[in-house]
Amino acid sequence: MVKGQIVGGEFSKILVRQKSDVDVELGELMIAESSGKKIMMQVYDLLFGSQISQQNLELVSGLQLEDGSDENFFDSELRNYNLALLKSLITVDSSGVKISKSMPSFFSKVREVEKDDLKFITRPKNPFFVGNLRSGSKVLDVPVYLDGKSVLSHHVLVPATTGRGKSNLTSCILWDNVDKSYAGVLVLDPHDEYYGRDGLGLKDHPSSGSVVYYTPRNPPVGAMSLKINIRNLKPQHFDGAVDWSMPQKDALSFYYKKYGREWIEAIVMEKPLDNLFNEATLAVVKRKVMGLLDLSFSNFRLGCNGVFDLSAGETTIGDIVRELELGKIVVVDTSNFGGSVEILVGSLIASEILSRYRYYKFKGELDDKPVISIVLEEAPRVLGKEALERGPNIFSTIAREGRKFKVGLFAITQLPSLIPRQILANMNTKIILGIEMAPERQAIIESAAQDLSNDNRTIASLDKGEAIITSNFAKFAMPIKIPLFSDLVKKQISESVKKDFSAIR
Amino acid sequence: MRFAHLADVHIGSWRDPKLKSASTDAFIKAIDECLSRAVDFVLFSGDLFNTAMPPVDLLKIVVGKLKSLKDASIPFYLIAGSHDFAASGKTMLDVLEEAGLAVNVVKGGVEENKLILRFSVDEKTGAKITGMIGKKGMLERSYYESLDKTNLEDETGFKIFMFHTALSEFKPKELEQMDAAPLSLLPKCFDYYAGGHVHYIFDKNEEGYGRIVYPGPLFPCNFKEIEDLGHGGLYFIDTEKDEWLEYFPLELYASFKIKLDCAGMNPNQVEDELLSLVNGKDLSNHIVTMRLVGRLSSGKPSDIDFNMIHSTLDSAGAYFVMRNTTKLTGEDFEEVKVEQGSVDEVEGKLIREHVGQVSVENLTPEDERIMTEGMMGALSQEKREGETKTDYEKRLKEEIDRILKL
Repeated sequence: MVKGQIVGGEFSKILVRQKSDVDVELGELMIAESSGKKIMMQVYDLLFGSQISQQNLELVSGLQLEDGSDENFFDSELRNYNLALLKSLITVDSSGVKISKSMPSFFSKVREVEKDDLKFITRPKNPFFVGNLRSGSKVLDVPVYLDGKSVLSHHVLVPATTGRGKSNLTSCILWDNVDKSYAGVLVLDPHDEYYGRDGLGLKDHPSSGSVVYYTPRNPPVGAMSLKINIRNLKPQHFDGAVDWSMPQKDALSFYYKKYGREWIEAIVMEKPLDNLFNEATLAVVKRKVMGLLDLSFSNFRLGCNGVFDLSAGETTIGDIVRELELGKIVVVDTSNFGGSVEILVGSLIASEILSRYRYYKFKGELDDKPVISIVLEEAPRVLGKEALERGPNIFSTIAREGRKFKVGLFAITQLPSLIPRQILANMNTKIILGIEMAPERQAIIESAAQDLSNDNRTIASLDKGEAIITSNFAKFAMPIKIPLFSDLVKKQISESVKKDFSAIR
Repeated sequence: MRFAHLADVHIGSWRDPKLKSASTDAFIKAIDECLSRAVDFVLFSGDLFNTAMPPVDLLKIVVGKLKSLKDASIPFYLIAGSHDFAASGKTMLDVLEEAGLAVNVVKGGVEENKLILRFSVDEKTGAKITGMIGKKGMLERSYYESLDKTNLEDETGFKIFMFHTALSEFKPKELEQMDAAPLSLLPKCFDYYAGGHVHYIFDKNEEGYGRIVYPGPLFPCNFKEIEDLGHGGLYFIDTEKDEWLEYFPLELYASFKIKLDCAGMNPNQVEDELLSLVNGKDLSNHIVTMRLVGRLSSGKPSDIDFNMIHSTLDSAGAYFVMRNTTKLTGEDFEEVKVEQGSVDEVEGKLIREHVGQVSVENLTPEDERIMTEGMMGALSQEKREGETKTDYEKRLKEEIDRILKL
C-alpha cells in the first residue's frame, strides 16, 4: 500500500508527503524502490503541511470557531496533509543488504513494508529471539533473531522506565533460551519472578530439566536449597558488596593469607594475626563479616543462620557453573537478601565462571563451551560510577574483558546514565524499552550501536512491550514487539508424560 | 530405640586376592557388632553387592549373616542401591527378601500418575520406615519428582527415610562431579534420613527435615578411599541418648599413607626418600598406599625399583601395598591421560566430556548424557537364564525404545 511520496529533505531527513487516506505512525517502516533496489526507511517525526498560508489557515479557523461557519476547504486533501520525516536505514539489492549510502529517487513513492521485503532477516545458527519486527504499532509476522553467541558474549543492556516490560522481556528471552545449548544463563533474581514459584515461569517450560532453581527459602520439589560454604569465600568476593576501609581490606587479606579456607572462622573467633592491626579495625571487620554472612558465635561454636554454611554448600558454586556449562538456565532467588548479600553471592558465582573460562581459553578448550550470560538487575549497583569509584569488581571486569572469554552481562536498569560511558559502549546490544527521562534516553542514544540521534521522541513514545534493538549484530536498529510472556507459555506447555515406576513394588 | 545404619558394602568390589574378602569381612564384623549390641533393627542403605548378580560363594556368606540376624529377631531393612540393580530391574535383594532375611522398604504403588510410598512398621519399636531405590545415573530422580509426599510427611511417629542418592547441598568438594539430587526431592519431617551411595561420613540436622546421615562405605572400595578414609564403618543410633549417633569404625587393617612429590628427584632419590619414610616403622596388618606425583629430573618412573620398595614394606609387616603413579612423569614427559576413580565415575566423566559434540535438534547435552547412560545400562544387560534369544532381543529393544522415547 502506497503511503506517500518523497517530496524533499536531505539524506538523514527525507520528507514524505503522506497520502490522505492512510495512517502513518512514528517508527513505521517504509520502502522506496528505484532501479532494482529497495531502500528501507523509518518515520521518526510527523508534522502538518498545507498549501494555504498560515494566516489564511488561522482565518478559516477563526470563521469556524467564532462565527460557527461550517465552510470547509475546497479539495481539502490536496491543500492540507501530513508530512513525515524519515531516515534511511538500509538498502537491499541483488548483492544483499547494506547500510544506505544514497538517497531514494526524488518524488518516488513510498509504500508500507511487506514480509517479502524482509527476507534478509533470517534465523541464525544460534538463534536469540527477541520479539517480532514492528512497523509503528503494527506487529509483523517476522520474528527477529540475532546471533545468540555473539550477542550474549558482547553484553546486553536493557534500559527502561518501570512498567515498560523489562521483566516480561527477560522472561521471554529466558524462556526461548531454555532449550538452546549455545548459552548458559545465570539469573540473579531479586524479585523471585522468573522461575514461577507462584505462577507461570520457567518451571512450566517443556524442557524444564534445563532450568535449575536455587532458593534459600522452602525450595519447591526439585529445586536446590541455596547454601554456600563459607570456606569457599575469598576476600575479593566482597569487592563491590561491602565498603571496606584500606586497613579493613588489609586485615581481610592477612586473615586469608594466614588461615586459608578457614579465614572467616578465624575472623569470628578473633584468632591472632602476625601483623599488628588496630583492635577497633578487627572488631569492625568481625561485625561486618558476621552481619553480612548471618553468623553467630556462642559457647565457642560458630552458628550459621543464613545461606552461608559451614557443613553444607561445598560444591554449590561449582555445581552452578557446571550447569551453566551444560547450557542450562540457573535462577538464583536473591529476594530474601539485602543488596550486599545479593552482590556477594553474584560475585562468588561470576568469579568462578570467569576463572574457569579463562582457564578453558588458556587450555584451548573455550570454543567447545557455551557462552555464559549473567542477568543482573539494577546494574548500576555494581557498574555505576559510584560503585566503580570504590574500586573494580568482578562485574566491571566482565563488562570490560568478559567477551574474550565468552562471558557476558545481561544488565537491566532504569538509570543507564549512572553507568560510565565506556561500559555502556561495551554493551554491544541494547534492547531499549520506553524511557521517559531525557537524560537516560540521551545516555542510550549516545552509546548505541546504530545512529539513534533522531529517535529521542520514538524512544519516549515506546509503549509497553515495544522496543528498539540496537546491536553490532543487527543490520539496523530494529523496532520490535515483545510477546506477552503468559501467551508464550500457554502456547508451549506440553501434556504430561506417562511415567514408568517399574522398580517400585 | 537402638538401631544400626550401614551402607555401601560393595561385596565383591576388590579383585586382588588379598583384599577380595575385605568387604565381606567388614560385613561380617558389622553384623557381629549389631548382634553383640542387640540393636532393635539394622538399616542398610544400598549397594550390598558390587554387581546385581554376585558370585554364589559371597552370596552364601551374606545369607549366613542375615540368617543370624533373623535368628536374633533383628530385622534387616534395606533399599537397593545403584549397584544392586540390574538394568532389567532385577536385584538379588529380592531373593533375600523372599527368603525372609531382609525387608525391602521401598514399597508402594502408583495412583493418578503419582508415586505413593508405604511405610514398613518395625514391630518391636513401632518405627515407620520407607525409602527410595538408587539407580545408576541418578535415574531415580524421576521417581522422586513424582513422589506424593503428603502422606509421608503427615504420618506421625518415629519415621525413617532410607535413600541411596547424593544430595547436592551436602556433597563434599572432592565429589563435585558426582551426580546428585537436591534435598527438596526428599520428603520432609522424618526423624532420621539413612543415606547411602556417597562414600563419606556425614551427619547434619537439617531444619524442616531431620537428621541426615551418611555412614560411608563399610570398607573402602578403591585406592583413594583407602587413602582418604583409611577404614569404613557404620553408625549406631540410640534415640534415648542426648547424642544419638555413635560412629563405629571398622578397622580391619590399619592404613599407612605415603604421598610424595617427586618433582626434581631422580629415581634413586625417590627410592631413598620412600625408604626413609618407612624405615623403622612397624607396618604389621597395614595397608600401605603410595601416591607419587611430579616430574622426575631424570629417568622414567619405571626406573624406580618398586620391587625393592615392596620387599621392604613386606619386611616391615605390611599386609598389602598399593601404589598410584598416574601423575608421576619422567624426564621425557609424554602425557597419557589416565582417569582415576571407579568405573562408573570414569564412564560418567567421559560421557560428560563428550556430550554435545553432535548437534541434535531438541536434544540438550543433559538429555544426551541421560540417554547415553541409559543406553549403556540397557546394552549391558545379559541374557537371563531360560530366556530365549528372541525374548532377550525383544526386551532389549523395548528398553532402548523407552530410553530413546521412540
